[in-house]
Amino acid sequence: MTKWGMVIDLEKCTGCQACTTACAMENSRLPGESWQDVLFYHEGTYPNVKLSWLPRPCMQCENPSCVAVCPTKATYKTEDGVVLVDWDKCIGCKYCMIACPYGVRFYMDEKPVVQPDLREVFPGDGDRIWNPPYKMPDHLEDRKKGIGIQPKGVVSKCTFCYHKISKAPKGVADLDEDDPQTREYVPACVRVCPPKARYFGDLDNPNSRVNQLIADKRGVRLKEETGNKPQVYYLAGGGAPVIPGERSRGRG
Amino acid sequence: MSGEHLASTTRRRFLQAAGAGSALAIAGPNAGPEGVAPGEARAQAAAATKIVKNICHQCPARCGIDVYVTNGRVHAIYGTPDHPISNGKLCPKGPLGIYVLYDPDRWKGPMRRTNPKKGRNEDPKFVPISWDEALKVVADRLNNLRDRGESHRFAILYGRGWGASCAGLLGTFGKLYGSPNVPIGHSSMCSDGSIVAKQATDGNAGYNAHDYRHTNYILMFGCGFLDAFRPYNYNMQVWGYIRGDKSPKTRVTAVDVHVNTTLAAADRALLIKPGTDGALALAIAHVILTEGLWERSFVGDFVDGVNRFKTGQTVDPTTFEEKWVKGLVEWWNIELKDRTPAWAAKVTTLRERDILATAREFGSTRPAMAIMERGAHAHSNGIYNAMAIHTLNALVGSLFAEGGLMYQMPPPYGALPANADDYLDEYAKNGPWKQYPRIDLKGHPDGYLLARNMMQDVGPNHLAGRPYKLDTILFYCTNPIWTAPNGQVWEQALQDVFVIDTSPFPSETSHFADLILPDHTYLERLQDAPTYPFEGYPLTQLRVPAVKPLYDTKYFGDTIIEIGKRIKGPMGEYYKKLESAENVIRHLAKGFEKNPGDNGVDSFEKWVEKGVWYKKPYLWRQIRGEFYEWDGKGYNRRMTPEEVKAKLLKTPSGKFEIRSGLLEANADWIAAKTGRNKANLMFPIWEEPKHPGGGDLYLVTPKQALHAEGRGHNIPMVIAHFQPIVGGRGEAFAEIHPETARQRGIKDRDWIKIRSSVGEIRVRCRYYEGVRPDTIVLPMEWGHWRAGRWSMAVPGGHSGECTVNQSDRITGQCNYYTTKVTVERA
Repeated sequence: MTKWGMVIDLEKCTGCQACTTACAMENSRLPGESWQDVLFYHEGTYPNVKLSWLPRPCMQCENPSCVAVCPTKATYKTEDGVVLVDWDKCIGCKYCMIACPYGVRFYMDEKPVVQPDLREVFPGDGDRIWNPPYKMPDHLEDRKKGIGIQPKGVVSKCTFCYHKISKAPKGVADLDEDDPQTREYVPACVRVCPPKARYFGDLDNPNSRVNQLIADKRGVRLKEETGNKPQVYYLAGGGAPVIPGERSRGRG
Repeated sequence: MSGEHLASTTRRRFLQAAGAGSALAIAGPNAGPEGVAPGEARAQAAAATKIVKNICHQCPARCGIDVYVTNGRVHAIYGTPDHPISNGKLCPKGPLGIYVLYDPDRWKGPMRRTNPKKGRNEDPKFVPISWDEALKVVADRLNNLRDRGESHRFAILYGRGWGASCAGLLGTFGKLYGSPNVPIGHSSMCSDGSIVAKQATDGNAGYNAHDYRHTNYILMFGCGFLDAFRPYNYNMQVWGYIRGDKSPKTRVTAVDVHVNTTLAAADRALLIKPGTDGALALAIAHVILTEGLWERSFVGDFVDGVNRFKTGQTVDPTTFEEKWVKGLVEWWNIELKDRTPAWAAKVTTLRERDILATAREFGSTRPAMAIMERGAHAHSNGIYNAMAIHTLNALVGSLFAEGGLMYQMPPPYGALPANADDYLDEYAKNGPWKQYPRIDLKGHPDGYLLARNMMQDVGPNHLAGRPYKLDTILFYCTNPIWTAPNGQVWEQALQDVFVIDTSPFPSETSHFADLILPDHTYLERLQDAPTYPFEGYPLTQLRVPAVKPLYDTKYFGDTIIEIGKRIKGPMGEYYKKLESAENVIRHLAKGFEKNPGDNGVDSFEKWVEKGVWYKKPYLWRQIRGEFYEWDGKGYNRRMTPEEVKAKLLKTPSGKFEIRSGLLEANADWIAAKTGRNKANLMFPIWEEPKHPGGGDLYLVTPKQALHAEGRGHNIPMVIAHFQPIVGGRGEAFAEIHPETARQRGIKDRDWIKIRSSVGEIRVRCRYYEGVRPDTIVLPMEWGHWRAGRWSMAVPGGHSGECTVNQSDRITGQCNYYTTKVTVERA
């Protein structure tokens, strides 16, 4: 069975946020609803200051704490390994947001990050939270999977661009943007990444590029101590932008 | 217009491709509801979604983009896979095009001002006007000016010119109409310091093209390679390769005034005192010479092979035989012999050991290149900083070499439908306008004799009536009332001149406009755009309308042609021959018939389909001190020195001139205007920069990754992610060193006042250990006082209101990064 996973090479990542803006475009997200974000840290004292950054999508955990705490079973794990939200079942209680160790779930019914509020400029039709003129095609939206414009009062999250990856040919090991046969199935953040710091493929396929990179370049997962077993791996082979150290974590 | 026709062409071609089975890629994810058989889903999706070729508009780089349109809605943009710059990739600005197209604050059609009073707080009281009326208003003004013999009082100011069908039309317009001020470009407010320094040394007045993929060392001076340097998208693609995959890994030293992503990702970060990059470059050159690290095959050598470059000691010029450089030993004797790392450490505040290590690495690694932009040269001494840096490329032999720098070749465009020279009337040839200098005194001894443009002085000069008053200014893709240093002067200047703005968006310029002739946004345009300097080989691309224009707007190229048609005499006939921008572009594409691109583009139709024409390789290469031309199979045909001079090193001597012939020829003027010494002003020398403003902290105002040349400030997604390093979400912070802040009683996130001799602004600050304690870093992006609703809502002032209008007298480069300010708690 396919188990989709991602590898992010922090030695190549330039912290440009193309993943963030491409995700927002592809998935019609509001400003601040950063399903895919890049977090910046700095530590040290002038002139020896270490600036580092960490791109952060949903980790699509094998053992997701968000699923465990959801009282209505709105959040669930698909057979091919992706954590989704059924917006028809979600009651917006936010337990999942508290349970998630990675801070990658969003509730957008509060004060907007950027004003004037886009939800008022492009008001939603029916119970949609907003209705931008650039939103994704109607036939791709799927409330049962948390894809498209959400209704009011629900939690949203990264779907690994499920509307793309779920249409990929069965049994394919890698979804590679450089391969014309798979380009259109690649998640937006992976597809645009200019230094090609991201790879996407099947963690259950021993021959996939993601498995090769995890093995060759010593892939690590964030917060292993939680037992969540993320399906997003990071490569941090000694370059400048590596996982932030303890010195910077406690600071704002 | 052509939108509908072109879109349908694209779609037909797409369907043909689908028939051939190559459309699988797009059909898949856009397939309909589950349960539909794959074949049906594919057909349905093919009918629903089309991909239209375009070029990004968010920076100069011109990345090819695939625009996804479903049922008339543009919902996604991805990099064009078979495009040499984008290669299927995007920078963070690339996806923003969907927001630009659907920006609810766009102008909906042409507008006329009804309130004659102009000012920041005056409502222009715009009312709609038809295109015919609007164009007649412009044409009547221009015809009247010409009838009165005052055509020089019409100016067109442009910013981001794209190609032959927009800004490329303006030079002809000026010649036919008769104005020295048509057009005035923005390059002096961009990076002319780099261009003029290269003209002064290697004879090419242009930005460099680069062969990053094959270089083993990059020394970066204030160019924000991973922050804002173009082509940003490609820079990052290259970065992933040279830092992740290439063997050996390319080594990088980056020089700037604060730790940005470029410095963080580099092997060595050098936090230099603003305006002293030239001192660092001189010390590196000093070490390269004293330690014998120069590239002898390019530079030359001592006749007997014994290195006589010893610190503090002069060298007998007859003992050294120069090859492709001119003036090396003279430079050593007059300047370089004392420019030691210890000396540079005092000037730059860097550590001597870091300067020495950088020099040894750079000098001993081949290929190596030194790159720079206005961080290094936007100072009063900019010409010399830039010449010193560029001379490093000569010393290591990287000019025109593999892994080095070259210059961009133009595309083989076809001729326009008419030859402008056949349409010059007596007025155009010999009218009174010929006696007038340009309003910005570019090329004039009283102004900037060697500059290429001086847009920053148009406002002040007009205000002072020196050399005269303008009557009418038309703006294209530029907003200098806001972007110029000390733009407050422009607010006064634009009160008594008829202003025409052509931007699709409201801005400070449109607030002062008498007439608004709004352009399409880029996803609605048919527009050509030869590449910005890239890898040297010729490349040009096309914007194809993804949708019909949403509003009653007109492509700027067509606006110019339509105005031209309404000018009396043969000029009007010329523009009738041009007919339309589409007709112009169709004629440009005829040049591809004899020169098909590598991707098979040999016609207008194929250009529309592929979006890009390009032809590899770059035709010339310097290999171990000899120049070769491509003969169809390889770099095999050795060039004569005369050919090198004509095609590559276009200086008076045909060599890389450390002793600049250009500066020497103008030494009297330079000495008279700057007080410099005629004996050494033609060499890359050290000169202390002049910092105006009257304060004690340097104000540096860099671009950020999401800065889209003034086209992004009204985009909520940009506002949300603009300045991630110090947590700027929803606003831009002034980066201040904690110790600098504490000395002034300023707490983290406090509002502060930044004040110079020309103005004062309020912004919020963030403590940042990564900024020099003597420097305040405030990104130039917000503080708009007239723009779209989101832009206006971002708190904080505009850096330009504190920036003194000072320019490098030689290059004309606006000194954006040199003002000194005082900072206190607000």
